[in-house]
Amino acid sequence: MRGSGPLAIGLVVLAVVFAAVAVFYYTVKTNFLASGHPALHWKHAIVFTVLAVLCLVAANFARPKAART
Amino acid sequence: MLSAGLIFFLAALQGLTELFPVSSLGHAVVIPPLVGLSFRQTDPAFVPVLTMLHLGTAAALLFLYRRDWARIIAGFVRAAVRGRVETTDERLAMMLVVGSVPAGVIGLFLQDPLKSLFGDPRLASGFLIVNGAILLTAEWFRRRDERRLAAAPAPALGHAEGDPSYVAIEGLSVRTAVFVGIFQAGALLPGISRSGITMAAGLFAGLRHEEAARFSFLLATPIILAAGLLEVPSLGSDAPTALVSAGAAVLAGVVAYASARFLLRYLRIGRLDPFAYYCAALGAAGLVFIH
Repeated sequence: MRGSGPLAIGLVVLAVVFAAVAVFYYTVKTNFLASGHPALHWKHAIVFTVLAVLCLVAANFARPKAART
Repeated sequence: MLSAGLIFFLAALQGLTELFPVSSLGHAVVIPPLVGLSFRQTDPAFVPVLTMLHLGTAAALLFLYRRDWARIIAGFVRAAVRGRVETTDERLAMMLVVGSVPAGVIGLFLQDPLKSLFGDPRLASGFLIVNGAILLTAEWFRRRDERRLAAAPAPALGHAEGDPSYVAIEGLSVRTAVFVGIFQAGALLPGISRSGITMAAGLFAGLRHEEAARFSFLLATPIILAAGLLEVPSLGSDAPTALVSAGAAVLAGVVAYASARFLLRYLRIGRLDPFAYYCAALGAAGLVFIH
């Protein structure tokens, strides 16, 4: 698959956003996109952490690579 | 509080119905009132106990496919670091990741709102009938596809280019993996079977019956495992229930392993129709007899 620099960069940015959201859910009491009273939503934090890692993996797939010889 | 006897009954039921395309959650909600068991479906321990049982069945799947999972995990790490897929194991690992993300994300945001629906046996009965319809629809499309292939071989969704036969899961496209993964999110509804809806999606996408079941089982494992692990802390406040649930989880795992082995052997030559009719009948019984 041909690499795409902008796509890879976009995925890295998305990974940073997901990581930031994960930190938010783990450190700030909130009920944003979550049920119940404002609280620390560690399940949401874990899922967004996993999504951040997967975005980094996807970025590695998407980045342009030198042709194999 | 749930009794130990009821928990072990639910464990055996879970093990039997988790991997069969008949909705384990639907059975856990519909069967107790249908057979007259006194059981408070609004019991706050209900969902976490079921989740512990899910851990048992997830362990059974991990054991059943232990060699596959070892290759899949190694393949994922290799491909992730390299940034390129080179082997069938690496391709399968990526397909499972792609297929798991939709259900994981949707489940995260909808699980709590849908929890209030988990204890409604009439709603679960209705969805069991829908589950039966989904299975029959998938088989209808499969039979139509087989008739067309017999008449004039042609590639279909999920087939390798130019290959008129049905694919193994290692040959799935990304689009198909996402398609099956999104279908898996439908299992959040009580009465809709995770294995059933993913098998149906796999059949529709062109997988053989046995391969559709294999992909369904592999796809279900990380979701079931994650859901179970995330809910375990909620059992901590009631130690006797947690200990009983742990024993029941082992029972569920043993029964699930035997069920999976049977189903894989059955699907070499059998189809999903009997399960569809069973779901429809159980759902109808629930609607008629549960008030």
